[in-house]
Amino acid sequence: MKLTKIAKALALTALIGAGTQVVSTEEASAKTKDGKWLIYLSLSYSGNSWQSEAANIVKALAATPPFNETVELVEVISGTDPQAQISDYESMIANGADGIVSFPISSTALNRVVKRGCQEGVLFFMYDATVTEQCAYNISYITSGFGENSAQALVNALDGKGKIFLSRGVPGNSVDDRHTNGAMHIFNQYPDIEVVAEYYSYWDDRTTQQETAKALAAHPDVDGIWAQAGEFGAIQALLQANPDRLVPMTGENSNGFRLALANPDYQAKGIDGVSAGSPPAQSGFAFKIMMEILNGTRDALPEDQRNIEYPLPWVPGDAVVLCEGDKFEDGCNAFPDGKVPSSFVTEVFNPELLPELSLTSALEGQPTPGAEIQPLPADAVKAAPNEPGINCRQCEAPADLYHLTKIEPTVQP
Amino acid sequence: MQNDNAMTNAGAEQEDKRTTAKVSGEFVTIVAIFGLTIAMILASRAISPSFGSWSQVETILYLSSFLVFCAFGQGLVILVRGLDLSIASVITLGGVLTASLMNGSNEGLIYLVPMILGACVIVGVVSGIGVAYLRVPPFIMTMAVGLIVYSLCLGFTRGTPRGYPAPLLSDFMQGKFLGVPAPVYLLLVFVVFGTVLQSYSAFGRKLNAVGNNPLAAYIAGLPSGLLIVSAYAVSALCAGFTGMMLAGYASGATLRMGDSYLLPSIAAVVVGGSSILGGQGNFVGTVGGALLLTTLATILTALGIEQGWKTIMEGGVILLALIALREQSFAFLRDVFGKRG
Repeated sequence: MKLTKIAKALALTALIGAGTQVVSTEEASAKTKDGKWLIYLSLSYSGNSWQSEAANIVKALAATPPFNETVELVEVISGTDPQAQISDYESMIANGADGIVSFPISSTALNRVVKRGCQEGVLFFMYDATVTEQCAYNISYITSGFGENSAQALVNALDGKGKIFLSRGVPGNSVDDRHTNGAMHIFNQYPDIEVVAEYYSYWDDRTTQQETAKALAAHPDVDGIWAQAGEFGAIQALLQANPDRLVPMTGENSNGFRLALANPDYQAKGIDGVSAGSPPAQSGFAFKIMMEILNGTRDALPEDQRNIEYPLPWVPGDAVVLCEGDKFEDGCNAFPDGKVPSSFVTEVFNPELLPELSLTSALEGQPTPGAEIQPLPADAVKAAPNEPGINCRQCEAPADLYHLTKIEPTVQP
Repeated sequence: MQNDNAMTNAGAEQEDKRTTAKVSGEFVTIVAIFGLTIAMILASRAISPSFGSWSQVETILYLSSFLVFCAFGQGLVILVRGLDLSIASVITLGGVLTASLMNGSNEGLIYLVPMILGACVIVGVVSGIGVAYLRVPPFIMTMAVGLIVYSLCLGFTRGTPRGYPAPLLSDFMQGKFLGVPAPVYLLLVFVVFGTVLQSYSAFGRKLNAVGNNPLAAYIAGLPSGLLIVSAYAVSALCAGFTGMMLAGYASGATLRMGDSYLLPSIAAVVVGGSSILGGQGNFVGTVGGALLLTTLATILTALGIEQGWKTIMEGGVILLALIALREQSFAFLRDVFGKRG
């Protein structure tokens, strides 16, 4: 929140600057004076690796040829308050934005302003989190079943019985709810799986570590941990409590967690699990689809078909492959210790959808030298299932909402 | 001291009585808060058989040490009638600098540690000067400085703090000595040191004097401006130290690492019997407050109840402790029983 104010001041300056530029814009193509598309990158908050990486990807792509000649990107950080993002959207629309790529703070509160923006001809592309307003595009992995698939992986590793912790995200957040509901759908089928502690870790490594340490004080005999982002902190808490004992656990995509899953010492101590969850690469995918629609190389989708699913990353311990260079090449999916911080979210890359990116893009927001924007593959865009309250309002969820896509149960309930 | 004597002589016996009552009241608060903490630990056995064990006590001591470190500085600032809202940002600053400058090596630690802590002290000095000489309200001054420091951290790291603390630091924070986590020893040393500094050193007594009555302290010839600046500097030093320890604990820094210590650091000071209006306080009480808050959080996490209820209970217990442990409450009880007897 502290950051918000300064960011806003900066954004305001940028908006004023941008505003003067678009005054004389012709109506037909709402471009800026110098012929560039005016694109806003609207973030919730900065300050954790995931948010920064997602933003850096878009910045890097916007600076990669030919977008560096055709796109004017303005970054605006709104903090954690939906009201702030609403007024930021209003300013962007008033300034003649062509498109807004955004991490939406609320799935419902932004609907009205998004609707208004659509009527003014602004393209809205939401990544990771979603809005239920049907005129916006939602590009998200959220419907891809992180909760249920990772829960099943944990159940399999535990042979269907044991005491587990749930390390959740931010209370009241629709993403956290969706994940946890999916996971509980699986855990509830196994009466021998007992959730002995459930705590909110705010998708942060250090909070996860402290909360897990507290839970371990009461339950040192825990058999497994189901975690959302911040999972690397849970490993540190386990080692702190007992340097010789780890347990099966599932979590998201931090580099530290992937290295731990593949570490033979840790495996001997009992770690076993899957790294899955939210990829920052969604932002880049969203941005590229939007640019293809703006540039006319891709048709806009009808209003009720704008929910697009980003595939769920799924890396079990035995599938972790270290990268030699600065990209995901030859099927690698983690970086050697020391190259990136352990909290670095590895899924910034996607060789098919985003071949333009490298480590400098994710860490610094700089374009990869020599890279050029590549068109998306023809089959890149896949429709996401409807989920009421997440990506649509008056709609029915499919009957098999929580069906497993990545893993089969090896133990029957 | 001259003044004190003169007043005592003039006010005769009544002054003496008030002084005795005040000291014993403080003592009772401390005993009560530690008693309450121990009672909570023992009672928590009902929740989980592993509770009430030595390992739970270890966890609580360990986790509370971070809060104790930064609450000491907060306590000094509150003592001189201030409030330090920049603690969260300075913790982050300490952590980010620790991770990025040490960068996973023990080399040059002798220079780096004073450098990192020195950077934090500068932040405190700036806050202190603003409060003491420019007369900016402490609330505004420290909030503004905190904002600036946080933004500098964000810009410096570009959102992703990199690097690792020195292996020596990580090993210390994660290591054990005679079966007890090493930071617990550090905590004990810190508590002794802090108590001596705040209550028994000339520096601490001067701060007390400034907090009690800045004008009187000034007339008595104390450099009150300088003392206020030094309180903020110590607070920033402690916050930076907390950040360094946290980075060692988590083997890295995050930009939000200080957020969860700001309000608890104030709560620990106040629950521990210090006056939020300044001029009265005792570090042992603050330590008790920090232990109480951490114990409560540990038990609530283990209960596995809804987040809403958790925060309600946390708020409720803090409020109850504050009301119940006030000197006035003891005085009230004494009066009631005194009348009956």
